[in-house]
Amino acid sequence: MVKGGILLKGGIKMPTLELKVERLEKLVGKKLNIKDLEYDLQWIGLDLESIDEKENKIKVEYSPNRPDFSSPEGIARTLKGYYELELGAPTYKVNPGSLEINVDPIVNKVRPYIVGGIIRNIDLDEDEVATLMNIQEDLHWALGRDRKKVAIGVHDLDKIVPPYLYTAVKPDSCKFRALQLERFELTLAEILKEHPKGIKYAHILEGKEVFPIIFDKNKEVISFPPIINGILTMVTDDTKNLFIDITGTDFRAINYTLNILSTTLAEMGAKIESVKVNYNEDRRQITTPDLNLMKWTVSKKYINDYVGVNLSETEMIKCFQKVRFNAKPSKEKGMVDIWVPAYRVDIMHAVDFVEECAIGYGYFNLPTTIREGCIGEFHPFQELCNLIRKIMIGAQYLEVINFLLTNSERHYNFMKREYVLKDLIQILNPKSKELDTTRTQLLPGLMENLLYNRSEEKPIKIFEVGEIIELDLSTETGARQDLHLAAVTYHENSNFTEIRSLLDHLTISLGINEKIKVMPTTSPTYIEGRVGKISYNSESIGIIGEINPEVILNFNLEFPVAALEMDMNKFLGKQLI
Amino acid sequence: MGIKLKQNVLEILKTLQEKNIECDASELAKDLNLDYIVLMSAVNDLDKANLGGFKEKYLDYLYLTDEGLNYLKKGLPSRQLINYLVKNKIKEISIAKLKEKSELTDKPFYRAIQNLRRNKWIATSKATGENKVFLVADDFPNTELEVFLKTFEKKPFYDKSKLSKEEVELIEILNKRNLIRREKSTQRLIFLTPEGKKIDVRKIEILKEVSKITSEMLISGEWKHINLKPFNVSISGPRIHAGKIHPLINIINEIREIFLSMGFTEIKGPIVESAFFNFDALFQPQDHPAREMQDTFYLNNPKQSKLPERERVEAVKATHENGGGCGSIGWGYDWSYDIAKKVVLRTHTTATTCRRLAQFYRENEKPPVKVFSIDKVFRNERLDHSHLAEFMQIEGIVIDENVTLCDLRGLLTEFYRKMGFSKIITRPSFFPYTEPSLEIAVYSEKLGEWLELGGSGIFRPEVTYPWGIKDPTRVLAWGLGLERLAMLKYGREDIRDLYRNPLKWLREVSY
Repeated sequence: MVKGGILLKGGIKMPTLELKVERLEKLVGKKLNIKDLEYDLQWIGLDLESIDEKENKIKVEYSPNRPDFSSPEGIARTLKGYYELELGAPTYKVNPGSLEINVDPIVNKVRPYIVGGIIRNIDLDEDEVATLMNIQEDLHWALGRDRKKVAIGVHDLDKIVPPYLYTAVKPDSCKFRALQLERFELTLAEILKEHPKGIKYAHILEGKEVFPIIFDKNKEVISFPPIINGILTMVTDDTKNLFIDITGTDFRAINYTLNILSTTLAEMGAKIESVKVNYNEDRRQITTPDLNLMKWTVSKKYINDYVGVNLSETEMIKCFQKVRFNAKPSKEKGMVDIWVPAYRVDIMHAVDFVEECAIGYGYFNLPTTIREGCIGEFHPFQELCNLIRKIMIGAQYLEVINFLLTNSERHYNFMKREYVLKDLIQILNPKSKELDTTRTQLLPGLMENLLYNRSEEKPIKIFEVGEIIELDLSTETGARQDLHLAAVTYHENSNFTEIRSLLDHLTISLGINEKIKVMPTTSPTYIEGRVGKISYNSESIGIIGEINPEVILNFNLEFPVAALEMDMNKFLGKQLI
Repeated sequence: MGIKLKQNVLEILKTLQEKNIECDASELAKDLNLDYIVLMSAVNDLDKANLGGFKEKYLDYLYLTDEGLNYLKKGLPSRQLINYLVKNKIKEISIAKLKEKSELTDKPFYRAIQNLRRNKWIATSKATGENKVFLVADDFPNTELEVFLKTFEKKPFYDKSKLSKEEVELIEILNKRNLIRREKSTQRLIFLTPEGKKIDVRKIEILKEVSKITSEMLISGEWKHINLKPFNVSISGPRIHAGKIHPLINIINEIREIFLSMGFTEIKGPIVESAFFNFDALFQPQDHPAREMQDTFYLNNPKQSKLPERERVEAVKATHENGGGCGSIGWGYDWSYDIAKKVVLRTHTTATTCRRLAQFYRENEKPPVKVFSIDKVFRNERLDHSHLAEFMQIEGIVIDENVTLCDLRGLLTEFYRKMGFSKIITRPSFFPYTEPSLEIAVYSEKLGEWLELGGSGIFRPEVTYPWGIKDPTRVLAWGLGLERLAMLKYGREDIRDLYRNPLKWLREVSY
């Protein structure tokens, strides 16, 4: 089935996550059955994609603005609030650590930011290892723009010696053994050419003079972000402690990524320890991960008015607690103080609390109210289209609709029309090479309709009323849309007279017959001597005639075709009285 | 007044006058070599002319059963036994042996023995120690029952209402032996009225029967004398190739009517659109995956669009970079004019509704404003049975003071109710340019399942502030795809059919 909902989502593909119900039960601390989950998950913004009752598994889709939903731990965290098993923000302890990363200002040329964190006492089961892999992939996609903006490196802490140095080096100046291709020492330049990850992500470093690199104290390569880690820090079954590096081009995004990753690992029972990052250029030292709650102060009236409810302070605070925020009455009158967990990366504006409050309250609990007002009107374009349709079906012509995208060869060459490429709308990157431009006439579409239906009972009389798009650099976006009408009649005895009668019926019905003239003309699409130029007030608006047999044969047809095509823009907004 | 009859009716009238008796309809039809229905239709004409008619008679006929017919051929069991004895010149025989030879079953055999003894044609004795039959008569004339049975050879049935007293008794005997079956039926008897009997057929005018009325008949008045051949009104006529509205247009117009009834005004906007209105003005960061080439048609010609008025562009730029004073923290990156100038084929009609916000600003309009569009949008997709590169999107927005999430829910409930979906769920969702956001699921009675049928929300302040639309004026928005609805409504499986124009479908489609 085609998803109707995707349209407003701006074409974004939704990430999915497979959940074992048993594991979710353990995390939430409550017996769950699939049927209830199916119902409950939708109210925290998760879309159920499929259910596997036999395996007791479900697959959910989460929104890309909620990368904290990329693990069962993250979903369980929110479900606990929904079921009111835990209210308010979860807290995570960050032990102060002494490990330091020095940042060489040269990285500003290629990948300016790094943050890090230490995770101690990891003891992950099979599911948790899978989750860790999966979450990295999702974060790379959702926050990292496929590693361009954010890249994650996970290392065995105990194999490297601090302090570390984040710097950038010439592509040929450094060699190391990379994961997945560990037998050879390769230079950074070689990795981009030969290593599968290098080939995949080389585009991120394209045109850069220097490439980012992380060394330990002994100048051993820890990582070549955003491409691949060194073999030195490979994580194995024996790994007890992790060092995580996050590099990128957006300081906010790398911190968000670290926050989501470290809170998820903390949910798995590991201990988080901070790392000091020294940005030597401006003598700034930061400590990460910073899992402090972010405080916002929001007006209660604003929230109530936006949602359309009248919640008391206590009720509103409860709503926020249910979505795992801390909330308290503010010292400021009429305000509420809200603390947002560090893994929530989607809060940008007070309006975001409106939605959180509504989710906490339950969308299903919201009343439906109706606002009156406004007088509607149809657009003159559609009104004219519908008028033309009425006239045309009265003449026993059947309506068709064709795509606006088309293929220049079929659109012009098949019709024996000449074209100059620079005058055409050109699509830069069509997935289907068939579609390289927009239609400038409706007639070629009708000819294709005849071809598609050539074995149907004759006569075939069809018309289309619709837009064409032409290049017009004088407009704001460089193109112009015009309303056209075209009709064809296809059978053994179709001829000029028949299509001329149709034109007369049309112009009489539209009340423009007096001002319409048809004069002889020539066109390669039509038969010489049986083609006329249609003009309105002596301005050319269309063409009518019998189609050239060569064109007929181009479309594999076997009877004569008579056709007309007109620009109807002139008649837009015509007054009825 | 002269009487007119059709040629064949006249013929039947003549025949009936000649016969001068009431005739059984089916027999008469056979005699005249006419179809029964044609005959009855002629009788109907006679009835109308008061010349004749038919009456119904209920018949109760008595026929021989299969066994009876068998005896009619071979003789009754008693006759069969006598014939055997006489033929083989047997004067005495054991009963057991006779039975064996006779091939009769117990009941008819012993009844036959009994009857023969009663007629004194045989005697039985156990004197010899064995139960034996002795032939005691020389002459074996047909019995009354046998004579009666024989009459069935000439006429296969008796009319129960016409039996004589003797016949009733005989039939009773045969019936007891399961040799008689009854058959009830209705007989139609055709008769002539006294007028019909005496009318002079030569004076009757012949009524002509024709298949169509011509202009001459109408003008000359001849139509009064003709009789139009009746048509079979139950069968369909040949298909006409009428002009018809395309099914998609039909559904578009239905939805336009719904919007109009709810006070919405229709808008249109450019298909070739700037990235600025398609993405930037909708607060989609310039590195957003949805903006990538693999999803969006970018144009090589025209390559660049003109950005709108400088200060509005700056306002949009600021919301991306730092929130632009609308209370947002923004995306925190350096916004590029060049990326915003790129030209795309509109990926959603929200670009058009966003232009409407710009118009609202420029014309210093006052809320409420309600507009809708049903128009083409484009996605860089390969075509298959469920994907199109261009399709129609339905979208509506409301700009109003103090409108709420509950108002939006009310609006959606009403809109979908008018589309025929009485059960609707609105649940949390996400779209880059709305907050709060909802997804709409409706219950389809036809399919018996819930369908996701649209997205909705309130435009983010980052989207509306650059156009001077500030709290408490808010913009409610919702949208859905048209093709999905059309496939549901018209029962099509392949989305491409909606634009391939198969005449088989277009000519036969039910709206």
